[in-house]
Formats: sequence, C-alpha cells, structure tokens
Amino acid sequence: MKKRIVAALLSALMVTGLMTGCGNSGSDAADSANTSDAPAQTESDAPAEGDDAAAPEADAGSDTADAAASGDFTGADPQLEKHIKILTIWAEDNDNGILLNKICENYQKDVNPNFTWEYEMVAADNLQQKIATLAASNDLPDMFAYEAGTPLLTLIEADKIVNLSQELEKIGVMNYLNEGAVGIMKSLSGTSELYDLPLGLNAEGFWYNKALFEQAGCEVPKTWDEFEEVLTKLDAAGIQPLSTGGADKWLATRLINAYAVRTCGNDIMTKTANGEVSYTDPGLVAAADKLQEWSQKGYFGEGVTTVDANTAGSMLMSGKAAIFYNGSWFTQNLADESQNPAGKDGIGFFNIPIADESISSATSYSMNCGNILALDKGKYDDGTAWFLKYFCENMGDLAMNELSTVKGYTYTVQAEDMDPYTLMVLDAINESTEGFGWWEAKMVSEVSKTAQENVQPLLNGDMTGQEYMQSIQDVYDNQ
Amino acid sequence: MNKVLGNKKAIALFVGPAFILYTVLVMVPVIWSLYYSLYAGSPGLKWEFAGLKNYINLFSDKNFLKALGVNFKYISVVVIGQVGFGLLMALMFKFWLRKCKTVVRTLVFFPVVLPTVAVGQLFAKIYEIQPNYGLLNSFLSKIGLQSMVQPWLGQEKTALWALCVMDIWVAMGFYSVIFYGALLDIPDDILEAARVDGASGFQLFRRILLPLLWPMVITSTVFSFSGTVKMFESALALTKGGPGAATKSLSMYMYDNAFTYYKVGYASVIAIVIFLICVVGSAIINKFDVKDY
Repeated sequence: MKKRIVAALLSALMVTGLMTGCGNSGSDAADSANTSDAPAQTESDAPAEGDDAAAPEADAGSDTADAAASGDFTGADPQLEKHIKILTIWAEDNDNGILLNKICENYQKDVNPNFTWEYEMVAADNLQQKIATLAASNDLPDMFAYEAGTPLLTLIEADKIVNLSQELEKIGVMNYLNEGAVGIMKSLSGTSELYDLPLGLNAEGFWYNKALFEQAGCEVPKTWDEFEEVLTKLDAAGIQPLSTGGADKWLATRLINAYAVRTCGNDIMTKTANGEVSYTDPGLVAAADKLQEWSQKGYFGEGVTTVDANTAGSMLMSGKAAIFYNGSWFTQNLADESQNPAGKDGIGFFNIPIADESISSATSYSMNCGNILALDKGKYDDGTAWFLKYFCENMGDLAMNELSTVKGYTYTVQAEDMDPYTLMVLDAINESTEGFGWWEAKMVSEVSKTAQENVQPLLNGDMTGQEYMQSIQDVYDNQ
Repeated sequence: MNKVLGNKKAIALFVGPAFILYTVLVMVPVIWSLYYSLYAGSPGLKWEFAGLKNYINLFSDKNFLKALGVNFKYISVVVIGQVGFGLLMALMFKFWLRKCKTVVRTLVFFPVVLPTVAVGQLFAKIYEIQPNYGLLNSFLSKIGLQSMVQPWLGQEKTALWALCVMDIWVAMGFYSVIFYGALLDIPDDILEAARVDGASGFQLFRRILLPLLWPMVITSTVFSFSGTVKMFESALALTKGGPGAATKSLSMYMYDNAFTYYKVGYASVIAIVIFLICVVGSAIINKFDVKDY
C-alpha cells in the first residue's frame, strides 16, 4: 500500500513537472519577462533602498516610461546600485571594446562606486543569432551591439528596445550625439525616432596605393569615366587594378552599390526597398554587369571569390593591387606599421567618382555608424539612465583621447598627434553634405543574404547581371 | 537473475530513468520541432500559426531544392570515399605495409583528432590562389600544368568536390582502423586455404574478405551516412557555403532560416526533412545487410 502511495505521489510530481515545463513554453512572453526581471531587480535594489523600494522598482521595470519619468536627471548622480551586462563583438582590448570598458571604469571610479558591469563578447557572425535567441527568451543584456537597419527594425517592431529619442531628451543629453550620425541611424531603421547609439561615424570610398598610381601615370579620378581610364591604365601597366573581399561578399556588393548610386541616385536602394523601383531596373542591372565586366577583364586578379577582406586590404598595402574599396575603419590597419608596408603616406583616399553631378553629387558619401548599441527595454531603469547620461556626455572625448577616432558624439578635445589617415577620414566626413547607405542596408535579412551570396556567381560569370538582380527581386517578392 | 528480470517492477526501475532521459532529450525536441513547423516567424518576436503552409512552401523553394541536391551529391561521394578508402587502407596495412603499418596507421588516423576548423584552414591554404598559389596550384604550376591552376574553392564546378576531398581525407583513417580490426579477426588459415586452391588476389578479396567484412561495411556506411547527412561545420570552415550556394547543405540552410531570417517554423520543417533522410537512408543501407552473403 505504502509503495502505491509513493508511486502515486511520484507520478503526480512528474506530471506537475511536465505541465510546468509546458506551461512556461506556451505562456505569454510578457509573463516570462517579468519572471526573469524580478531577481535582477531585487538583487540590485534591495541592498541600497531596502524592502520598501523593491516593490515600486519592480513595477517600474515593467514600464520604462514611468521609471524614467520618476527621475530628475539634472542634479548630481544619485549613485544608485546598478549592475549592467554588455554584449558586444569587440574584444576588451580592441577598438570599441576598449572604449566601452574604459567608460564603465571611469563611471564607476569618478561618479558611481555602486555601479558594476559585466562585459561579454561574441563573434560578429554569431551576433544576430545570439540576440535573436536572447530576445526570444526575454533575456537581452542591458546594452548590446547590433546591426543598424533592418535587423534593428525587427527588435523595434517587437518592442524589445528602448526608444532613445524620448529617453535622451528626458535625461538631457540628446545634444551630445552628432546630428549626422543621428540622421544616418534614423534613416537606416526608417523610423522618426532614434533607437540606437552610434559607435562610429564612417565614410566609405576607394583607398589607393600612391606608388602604383605614380608608376602607371594615373591621377586621382573625379568622374566615373576617369576612373575607368585609371583602371585600364593600371591594367596595361601590369598592375592589378582592384582588390576586393569576394570571399566575404559584402565588399563586392559595395562596388555594385557605388556604381548604382552614382548612376541612379543616392536614394535608389531606399526606393527598391519600398517597392517604388524594381531590383531588375536597367540601372541596377547595369551596376551588376559593371562588377562582372571588371571581374571578366581580370581587374580583381585570379580567384576573387576566395579572397577575404584582410587579404584584399593587405594586397593594397603591399603593392599587389592598386585600389581597394573599404570604409574609414580601414585606417586601423593603415595606421599599424607592422601591417602597412606602404607607410604613413603611401595610401590615399578618394570618394566614389561621380557619373553625373545632378544625379549624385561629389560631396555625397557612403556613410554609416558601424555596429550600433541598443538597450533592452525590460531592464532599463533609473540606474541605466544615469549611466547612459554619463556615456553620452563623455564618449566623444574618450574616443578622441584613447583611439583618435570619431564615434558619432560631440567632442571638445582635439587629438594632438592624430594619425594622417584619421585626418584624411575626418576631412571626408566634414566635406560630406549628404550620406547614403550600403547595398544591403535597407534589405531584410533574407534579401540581403541572397544579394551577398549571389555576388559570387556574378563575379565568376555563372550568373548574369540580370539574373543576379532577378534573384534578389524573387526573394523580395516572397517576403 | 531470471527472478529479477522477470519482475516487471525491476525492469521498470532499470529502464525507467534512461527512458525518461531519452524522452526528454530526444523525443521532446523532435515533437517540439513538429509543433514549431506549424508556425511562422520566430518565438518571442513574430510567431503566428501557419498550418501546413511551411510544408507547401518547401516544394517550391529553389534554395531548399538546391541544398537538397548538394546534400545528396556530397553524401554519395563522401560515404563511398570514406568507406572505400578506409577499406583500401586497411587492406594495405594487412598485406603490403606489414613492417611500417603502425607508423602509417597513426599518420592516417591523425586527421580524425584534428579540429574541423583547423582542417578547414589547412585545406583553404592548400587550394589557395590569391595572393599566393597554395600547395596544389604551385604543384600544378611547377609540373607545367599551368592551365589546371584555378580557384578550387572559388568556382561552383570545383568547390563541392574540393570539400568532399577534404572530408574523405579527414575520416578515412577512422574507417581504416575499424576495417583493420575486422581483418585481424579473419583467421589466416582461411586465406591460406583459398590461396592453396589457387584464388587470385582479387578473388580472395571478392569471395573471402568482402563477405567476412560485410557487416563491418554496413556499420561503417551507416556511421559515414549519418555523419555526412549533417554536413555543416566542414563546409562552414572551408567555403562558408559558397561560392553562391554551391556548398550550402540542408543544415546550413536550416541555420540561415532559424537564426538569420527569423523563420524558426520553416527551419523546423527542414529539420524534419533531415530527420527523415536519416531514417530512410539508414533503413535502405540496412536492407543490404544480408545475413547469408
């Protein structure tokens, strides 16, 4: 009899366990958000403010607007106890990783000793997957790196991230963000409000090896016709005119974009994304054909689809290729003497040559803000807001002092021994009157993946320009 | 013993924990996939009931059909290559390389323990064409076959075969060791007797060795098949599925759908297809397992 009772109890326990498991998986997302937030709130708030404070804070966690509204952000930092998690794609000793850790360290040291942080890094390739998984389980980190444009839009639509236009206004730091950067980010996500923080302000264009240009008797081209002449001259002189990262794909599609924008207008890719213009528009097909023509003429050398971005860059620096399209982040490689045999003055930069000034002007640049930072809506509270305030106020100067780069925030200091390559980029950014995005910026992930994948058969001649654009259109139509 | 095993409660006690673990770890995810396959989008982001739409879309999806084609070509070449070369190696150890067989066996087995990413990097260097010729292209160029120099990984017509070569090289050592073990179990007097009866080398293999090794051939084929159906990490390490989608397998396409396109429902349908290929493929291979060869 006893055995039966024990067996019945155990069975009941198992059934309950199973039901609990099923219940969690099937329940509303909002429920699990509250559950996962609760311990975090209690942990961070209880020691500082006691039991009384824990209840209102927990409520505030579920409603971001209330939390921020309750605070006054004009005075001194109230030194709230706060632990934040940051997920990025940069190592702690590299690029933005240095800046993010440094700003947390400074905030803790100079402003709020009760602030702690946890820094985690994932490979750039895994970022989207990691964020998608965390978003699905309502466990996004407080602050995380992400991709601007359509990927971010998915999170905005799912109401997962903080509306920064509202929050930055509330805490009074909107003016610390570079207006150009804000404009670029809003236009990339196609929203009137801002949902992300910049971590770069980049201009893209052609980097060229000055010695090879001199050897072939070439001048920096201003128009597309001159550019074609330069390519022909370099080729005739036995120099490989171009290098591109065909294995990484995105560098090759940037070249299609360059021609498409200059011949069809700066907003051509926005129009295609909106459905106003078809991807099989003759102008875009001509752009794809142009890339194939260069490849078939051998301008990229042998096996372009096996060359990755790093190899392509080092081919330019070591004088194996004359021209390489890339963004201003490439200055990091150029400034590194061990990587750049061409030296401090060996590489030059020019904007994408124009085809017709009335279609796309010479002072319009392909610009972007690199990978951006977003904040999880569920975990955003007063503690985060105070840190955010410090972040926006100090990031501009910190980036200038530490890395001599512009990150999309206003800065007061001038880096004294700024690298010549950084200056070159700053000149371009200052000269620009209008910006446009990259080839895939407005495409949803499936269209973007198709555009990148099929650029390899296009380069190899396995697909015509028409077929390439049609393949993109087909996926677009299925969305 | 009979008393214990005749007791149903005792059986339940022994089998129960393992059965529960198996159910939770294997059966629940499979059933979960079936449930997911009826939905569109990604859980937590956009998640709507779609009925059988995902299944219907599957048959008109060119990318899926292409990935399926890639999988079949890859499986047929790699399974035959791994098992075939494995068997050949084992015969070599047994009959030709008696003296240095230990050294050769260690060398051949070595790639099995190498991480896939490292092997991918190694072969990417072997097939390299820019900025410098890799081992293969420089060899071809040296022996005067300049016309054969080509971007092996950069063109559709060679990329998949280049990948197959890598995967055969990696795993054939494993199968050679399995076959060698089986060969050692065959008594020498049987071979001796066949030789006395005047059997030639090929006849010896066809009439004596192969029938005795047959169960091992079937087992190895099932191993190799289930390993190749998953085709993912080696292709990712060597070609990233490129050029275009020339080396993109079903698993990679499933991954893209789940984690890049946020179509977990559709990815679940592809997972079910992979599961079915595994089940049907293994069943077909087992059909060849004839007891009286």
